[in-house]
Amino acid sequence: MAGAEKQSGREQNGRDAGTIRQRLDSLGEQLAEAKSRHAPAPGPEPQGQGAALGQALRLGIELVAGVAVGGFIGWWLDRFLGTAPFLMVVFLGLGAAAGIMNVVRTAKRMQADAQSVKDLPSVLDDDDD
Amino acid sequence: MIDAAYAAEGAGHGGGAAGGLPNPMHQFEIKRLIPFELFGFDASFTNSALFMLIAATLITLFTVYAMHSRALVPSRLQSVAELSYQFIANMVRDNVGTDGMKYFPFVFTLFMFVLTLNMLGMVPYSFTVTSHIIVTFALAAFIFLGVTLIGFWKHGAKFLKFFVPEGVPIVMLPLLVVIEVISYLTRPLSLSVRLFANMMAGHTMLKVFGAFVVALGFLGGWAPLAFMVAFTGLEILVAFLQAYVFAILTCIYLNDALHMHHH
Repeated sequence: MAGAEKQSGREQNGRDAGTIRQRLDSLGEQLAEAKSRHAPAPGPEPQGQGAALGQALRLGIELVAGVAVGGFIGWWLDRFLGTAPFLMVVFLGLGAAAGIMNVVRTAKRMQADAQSVKDLPSVLDDDDD
Repeated sequence: MIDAAYAAEGAGHGGGAAGGLPNPMHQFEIKRLIPFELFGFDASFTNSALFMLIAATLITLFTVYAMHSRALVPSRLQSVAELSYQFIANMVRDNVGTDGMKYFPFVFTLFMFVLTLNMLGMVPYSFTVTSHIIVTFALAAFIFLGVTLIGFWKHGAKFLKFFVPEGVPIVMLPLLVVIEVISYLTRPLSLSVRLFANMMAGHTMLKVFGAFVVALGFLGGWAPLAFMVAFTGLEILVAFLQAYVFAILTCIYLNDALHMHHH
């Protein structure tokens, strides 16, 4: 008698565990569904026009800074060595070269960043197909 | 004499000059709150210093108060503090690597300071400290010096190799090294000018359009007012973005100094 009761109790427990697992699974499904509903759509660009403007300004400043620093170094050396204005002319050119190099590097980094952002959703999408 | 110049500037603005628009640059004026001289240098406590003090106090209060409960399930304020920690920690880890986490406190402080100063500048009647090139240049110069010292401290004289591009014919090398050095020296300038120019241009624009609203009156003033509302939103974005760019470029420079990766 007692054994049978125990048996039924265990069954009861087993059934409870089963239903709990079932309920957990369905809850998990619901959660995943809700999450996918609230997830931001893999839209075109996370940043808007303001960010683009910032990037453009960044490139412009990079170029001007090169010329300015080159010119300043040349002017300072000229004053030091008394060779005005030759070194300033030379260093203005070198500064422009440095500025262009900086712009290219910055643009490359921006491109890489944009690429990594763009790649992210496509990687996540892969399990669809 | 400087005081007289200040007074003249103030008077020129005071009545809107000759009935024209108010001077949009008036908002950037430095005012001495507590005149003070140190060894012949003017070390007065100015409105700029006041706002830096406010920013430092706000950051300290915010971080200390937000984390005071140290709850496992964070409150809203604690989440904000943890989010900002995470944000910068990830930035440092992604851009410098795990051995760069030593410098996390510096980058976090820098980001919070610049962000708070930028955001404080968005409050009407306040003062935007980051719209002064000398402030941003001082920040950038310290970053530049610190990063260069870290580079030499980590790699010794080998750090000079950073200026020597690889795979270049020996004839071209002197020219390219000079260009590389100039390019390295532009860092403090471009870093400081970027922040300063963004903040100053935005605030000047806001002031100019604010003057248009008043000048055009009740009938015509709505168009510039609508523009100003949109522009204020953009300015808040710029305030955040520039603090972010300032911090991330600091990380990139740190990474160059620590690992000498050539870009």
